[in-house]
Amino acid sequence: MLLSIENVTTGYEKAQVLKKVNISLEKGEIVALIGANGAGKTTSLRCITGIIKPWEGTIKFNNQKIDALESYEIVSLGISYCPEGRDIFANLSVYENLKMGGYLIKDRREFKSNLNRIYELFPRLQERCNQIAGSLSGGEQQMLAIGRAFMLKPSVLLLDEPSLGLAPILVESIFKVIQQINSSGTSILLVEQNVSLALELAERAYVLEKGEIKLSGESKDLRESEYVKNSYLGIR
Amino acid sequence: MLRIRILESDEIFEEQGRQRKMVLYILQQLVNALSYGSILGLLAVGYTMIYGILGLINFAHGEIFMIGAFSCYLFATVLNIPWVIAALLAIITSTISGLLLERFIYRPCIRRGGSVLTIFIISFAASILIRYLFMMFFTDTRRAFPIPAFFEKIYFVGGIVIGLRDILIFATTVVIMLIISYFVKYSKLGIAMRAVSYDKRTASFMGVNSTRIIKVVFMIGSMLAGISGLEYGLSFGIVNPSMGFNPGLTGFIAAVLGGIGNVPGAMIGGFIVGIGEILFVAILPAIYSPLRPLFIWILLFLILFLKPTGLFRPNVKFEGGWEE
Repeated sequence: MLLSIENVTTGYEKAQVLKKVNISLEKGEIVALIGANGAGKTTSLRCITGIIKPWEGTIKFNNQKIDALESYEIVSLGISYCPEGRDIFANLSVYENLKMGGYLIKDRREFKSNLNRIYELFPRLQERCNQIAGSLSGGEQQMLAIGRAFMLKPSVLLLDEPSLGLAPILVESIFKVIQQINSSGTSILLVEQNVSLALELAERAYVLEKGEIKLSGESKDLRESEYVKNSYLGIR
Repeated sequence: MLRIRILESDEIFEEQGRQRKMVLYILQQLVNALSYGSILGLLAVGYTMIYGILGLINFAHGEIFMIGAFSCYLFATVLNIPWVIAALLAIITSTISGLLLERFIYRPCIRRGGSVLTIFIISFAASILIRYLFMMFFTDTRRAFPIPAFFEKIYFVGGIVIGLRDILIFATTVVIMLIISYFVKYSKLGIAMRAVSYDKRTASFMGVNSTRIIKVVFMIGSMLAGISGLEYGLSFGIVNPSMGFNPGLTGFIAAVLGGIGNVPGAMIGGFIVGIGEILFVAILPAIYSPLRPLFIWILLFLILFLKPTGLFRPNVKFEGGWEE
């Protein structure tokens, strides 16, 4: 198992958010976390990145416990996080943002080739490489955030709401790129509000409700389940 | 009816002489202001870098500046160390003081989740503590700063007096500023500094250890404050433990003027405030010269009133989003 969250209970200060959550991610997979607002999807991802520490339970990456590490150390293991709401460095140029994405790369040639790969995936970013990132459109900012997280060619990419606030046509093209990133060997853990899209993209999914895993399984099975249909897909 | 007044020849000379004197006077003041502007510019860069990265106004920055100048005096005059070595030691001393300040005062306070107000007060306390410790140990009498004879050389250029030390101060400052600007703009560490200034948490998702970056910023900022202190000593020839207060405040205002967090902006802000302050005094009649501090306060008021983000693009995330 590449990444696993085992029996994790956590929250913010006194407010508990997750209750004994188990999530696992195998090599090469795309796994989706779905659920309503406040169900604990983002919290699960943040827990992996190390900004929130589990109160109970462990997080393992390649069978190594990582829950005591600082976020910057976790990144160096090969887990990149693309935060919700993009969180690009609006004061830096597009190129500088990508340079920060590759902060841990020591080798100049490796940096160049990874940068070119991002530019291939998102030609728009190359066109705007010297533009201040704060002046990009929402879609371009999302591309930049994904590109930035992929600069290190991580073995796990945590994507938080990549479709948030984007036009449907953009969502489609971004999801295509996510697939391309996955096919180059990066496993993806995806948090997504758009449940039908998420189930289309992911092989497996977990349904979170009030901090607990309500359902989990293959996407195609979940799509058929009455519960998911009623609660998330709006089919009656 | 047009009346043409024909000036007598000696009257013309007198008039020309007066104008010439005025122009020379202003030029002379500008030359004097260049070294003062350099001093403030270097100070402002430290303020702006530290504010940018921690969101705190490091009021003890003026004391780091004082430590730079005062320790050079101690090394050179009291311990009789050759000036160049004393100056280098002074820069090292101020750098270390800045790092200690970060390690033992700001870091623990931020770790414990100190609010903006707490940190603000702590920074004031640190400033006062350092100043009064020095005053306790060394008393606040003004001492002559050791100036090597080499620096005393003076050139006359078309009626203006230019001291070699003014040239050296200005040149050193410009070189340092170019290096720092280049470093902040193009080096990976420089970009990381700006990224951490903008958003520490997101920077940590890139693998940036922000504690390390903060250390680097305190190191650079304090080193520049130390150099600025040496320049002050060379330029004014006097050092005392409370010397950091006024230049410290003025340097801070220069940083605000330049757009907080913006390093080249702070440098330009330093020169604008330095030149402005000197000319303000130079142009007013002599009896108003005690009004000198008024200039910076008027300036601060105008900045906060008209353009609180400063002249150039600030490099920090403001409440309510970022605008270009």
